[in-house]
Parts: sequence; C-alpha cells; structure tokens
Amino acid sequence: MAVNREMGKIWIFGDYRNYFQNRVTLQLISRGKDLAGVIGSETAVILLGHDVHQYAMEYVAHGADLVMVADRPELKEYQVETYTAILERWVRAFEPEIFLAGATSFGREFFPRLAKRLGTGLSADCVDLDIDPESGLLLQTAPSFGGELLAGVVTPASRPQMATVHPGVFQELPHDAGAVGRIVYPEVGDLAPPRVRLLHSRRQETHTVHLEDAAIIVAGGRGVGSREQFRLLFELADLLEGEVGATRPVILSGWARPERLLGQTGMSVKPRLLITVGTSGALQYTTGIEGAETIIAIDRDPEAPIFKMADLGLVGDAKVLLPLLREALRKRVATSR
Amino acid sequence: MEILVCIKQVPDVPTIRIDRRRMTIIREGVESIINPLDDVALEAALDLRAREGGRVRVMTMGPPQSEAALREAVAMGADQGFLLSDPAFAGADTLATSHVLARAVSLLKPFPDLIMCGMQTIDSDTGQVGPQLAEELDLPQICGVIDIRVQGRTLRAMRLSDGFLDTMETVLPALVTVGQGLHPVSDLSLAALERAFSEKDIVRWGLDDLGLPPGEVGLEGSATRVRRLYPPRPRRRGECVSGSPETLVDRFIRELESLSILGEEHGGE
Repeated sequence: MAVNREMGKIWIFGDYRNYFQNRVTLQLISRGKDLAGVIGSETAVILLGHDVHQYAMEYVAHGADLVMVADRPELKEYQVETYTAILERWVRAFEPEIFLAGATSFGREFFPRLAKRLGTGLSADCVDLDIDPESGLLLQTAPSFGGELLAGVVTPASRPQMATVHPGVFQELPHDAGAVGRIVYPEVGDLAPPRVRLLHSRRQETHTVHLEDAAIIVAGGRGVGSREQFRLLFELADLLEGEVGATRPVILSGWARPERLLGQTGMSVKPRLLITVGTSGALQYTTGIEGAETIIAIDRDPEAPIFKMADLGLVGDAKVLLPLLREALRKRVATSR
Repeated sequence: MEILVCIKQVPDVPTIRIDRRRMTIIREGVESIINPLDDVALEAALDLRAREGGRVRVMTMGPPQSEAALREAVAMGADQGFLLSDPAFAGADTLATSHVLARAVSLLKPFPDLIMCGMQTIDSDTGQVGPQLAEELDLPQICGVIDIRVQGRTLRAMRLSDGFLDTMETVLPALVTVGQGLHPVSDLSLAALERAFSEKDIVRWGLDDLGLPPGEVGLEGSATRVRRLYPPRPRRRGECVSGSPETLVDRFIRELESLSILGEEHGGE
C-alpha cells in the first residue's frame, strides 16, 4: 500500500474553470490540510485539462502537497463522462480515503456520477467538514430541508468518503510562491469519445459582484419595505465600501439581482461585518451569513429570530432608520476621509 | 418519442415546522407538492410530446401517499404513472434511490428515449439522483438544461453552468435534469383534476416486482448514514437595543467605531 500513501489520502477536485471568481478549490485545499493533519496524510489536488500547468503551480502555492495532473488536448473542456472514467481509474489505483469537490454546477453534475460508479456515498453542498474523533470518519455537515436543519452525515463502509462543499465556507490559505509540492502525471489510459458534445460555451454577461471577498456586506430582506427603501442599502454599502446582499424573497421581488443572493441557495459569506436589515432570520438565509465575524441586525420585530444570531440587534423600523443611518455615515465618512 | 419524467413528492418547504425536541420534521398539516423543478420537467416533457408525438410516463419512489403526486402529473397530461413503493425502500440515500429507479426504468417497455428529472429537490436539495440514474443506466447526461430541441435521434440542449451558457448535443437515449427557467408551470383545470382519479393510469411496483434483494435498497442499500439532525446553533453576543431612532443610530455608529470600521470622531482630520 506504500504507493497509495504517496498519492495522499485526501483528494480535492481542481475546479479551475472560473478561477478568479471561484476560489472553492483553494478553500478546500486549506480545509483538506486541516483534515490531513488529523488523519496523518498529504492533500492532493486532481487537475484534469489541457495546458493547465499554471493551475498546478497555483494549487501548490495555496498549500497542496501534491497535484495529480492529466494534461491532454481532449480534456480541454469539462466532460462528465471522460472525467468520471479517468477518476474511476485513479481512485481504484490509489485508494484515497476522502475525495472533495466544490459544489459548483460542474461539481454537482459530475461528482454524483463518479460516486455512483465507485458505489460510494456522497453528500451535497456541505457547510462543514470534520474528522469525527471517535470513528475517524469524515463528518459531513449538509443542510437539509431548505437549511432548516443541518445533517451530520458519515460514510461508514465504502470509500472514498465523498462530498461536494458549498463555496465560501472555508478560508483559503494565502498564496506562497515559495511553497513546495510535487506535481505528478499518473497514467490516464485510453479514453472513449464522450457521448455529449459541447457545441459552444459563452460566458454569461453578468455584473460581477464580489460578495465572497467583501469585508463589509449590507444585506436586506423583504422587511426593508420597498424597492426604493432597498436602494438605501446600496448607498450605505457605498459609504462603507461594502457590497449588498439579499435574501431570496428580495431577489424574487426583483429588488436586487440574483448574484446578490445569500443563503443556502446562494452565497455563503465571511465578511468582517454584516449588517442585516429587515430579515426575520429564516435558516435558509442565515446559513449563508453564519461565517460573518460580526453581525448587526436591524428589524422591527423584537421577537425576530435574526436577533438571536446577531452580535448587536437594533429594534426599529428600517424605513425610519435607514435614512438616519445614511446621514450619520455621510457625516462621519466626510470628516474622516 | 417515449419520455419518462421522474418526480418526487416533497413537503412544501416554506410551511415546514421542526419538532425541536425530537429533531424531526412535523409532517402533520404540512402540504405535499410535486417538487417544483420536477413540475417544470413535466411541463417541458408535455411540450415535447406536443411537438414530437409519443408518450409521457411519470415515475416516483416514495411512501404510498406519493401516489397523489402521480395523479396530479396525470391530471397535467401525463399518460401513465409508476409508483415505486415498499417499506424496504425507506431511508434511501441517492445511491439506493437511483438503484431502485434504474431497475424500474429498465423494466419499462419500450425503454424511454428521454428521461427528465428536476435538477434538484427543495427538501434534500442534493441534485444527485438524476446523474446517478444516468450512470446506472449508462446514459449520457446533461444537467440544468433551460432549453431542449429534439431532431430525429439528436438532442440539443442549452444550460447555464458556473457562469457559462453551454450548448450541448447528444444522441438519444439520454437523461437531462431541468433547471429554472425552462418552462412556466400552468394551472390545472378542474376537468383535468377529475381525470386524475382514473385508476388504470397508475402502476404500483414493490420490492418483489422489481426483483431486487432487500440489501440493495432503502437504508440497507445506502452508503451514507445520517448521524444526527440539528438546528444551526447561535454563537453570538445577542445584545439587543430598543429606543428612539437617535439612540439606535448612535449605538450603530459606536459599534462601527469599536470594530475600527469608522475612526474615532474627529480623529481623522
């Protein structure tokens, strides 16, 4: 089994298609190293593609001990069937204990197929990962029932233990150009042509919102009152050099664009400060903001569950408070800049 | 064209309540619906049938009461429903669920040209059963499609994936999962609802009909185990302030100062 240890027990799928926006692979390397420390192993990133050497270097700089690369022209595009075929071979050959992927569109399309072929368990869109101290199993924390509950899931017998992980729940390690890691090229073997052909692929033109990196987020729910009131959140965010996030009902009302969605079906964020206005605190939403260092909540209803998960709660009407907050911030920002 | 739509009956999530002592879902008084994206898949299938001819069959695995979802699907215009129900199927994860579905699909005559599923459900939200069903049936898969065209044996689909709009092509038989935006869901007419109560449209299959060993289905056939269910826990200061708007604004500004997001007053000049 010596050969297996050499390839690490913890594998992470290298999802680089949207590298600069989507940092989930880097976040998983960081968490993978924590887990590897507990079970005594290396952390390997699996990188499939063509001309992908730059990404291998990036993964090493962000903490990967090992990058396993398949670099071929026919791997240029993401292909569920081809990727499944290669990874089935590698998993059977090197027997990792744990295999993680970001819960991106592609991760959630391709990992189920791979898990099924390997006959192993897979949990979806996890918001936390740990090693259970008693059993040594990977404890996969997955949201259930629209985020109302969290489920602690384990895969007792089959291997590898597989999970897709929600982007933004772990913190990536800083880029270290001096980091050392191995880059290896295991045998790929013959590949059947995929049955699904990608005819063309076009980047969706959307206004880019950087909620994941924002230090300050001003988020609002339906309790803000109206589209006009909601605009004040953008003004507050501008004054604080932050970004605006929104709950699902706000998106459905068209007060903000879908890329601002926070929560179980949107982004999980980790800002220094999150100001949440007119959000009652449905768990569907709060799972996305749990990672904030400090939460200030503003809501009219003193019984609103959001106050239980806030550091500071202000009981008041958003309609009255938002314009006053804007004035107060304008004064302060004007004097301090 | 033979289309099969796999659907799931789910609790209407916005009305879900939790028994916090026993950490289970309170099912009494919770409305059950067809999973919204499965509804979209069914509408798209009916649309394809209108253009291409053929049949739309629907299938679900679940407790006996999920027959209501099949009846609703028949009322919407599906030709036939298959209920896969057996106490042995309970507690299945996606691996065991896709196994039961795959077995049932392989018994269908004729084998479907196209299998359609919702991209994910609103209760467990894994999105895994579709791809896993495709894997077991050795079919090509396209996930999250928002537009489908069929010409002869060629299927062309568009889908949004990680910020890209992909146009993809494959040859039938194939499986697609359907994402938001493919089709608006129409309301049912009363006449259609009455049609849903015709007995002959529903076929019921249990473990013996599928010829599967009990160890391959339900909890026993699952690779994952749920150790516990619990509400996300609060870990916050929980300070709550009421008072005049001026008091609140003042408290807000002081909080930002203490976080060094705002400098001390007059300090920055």
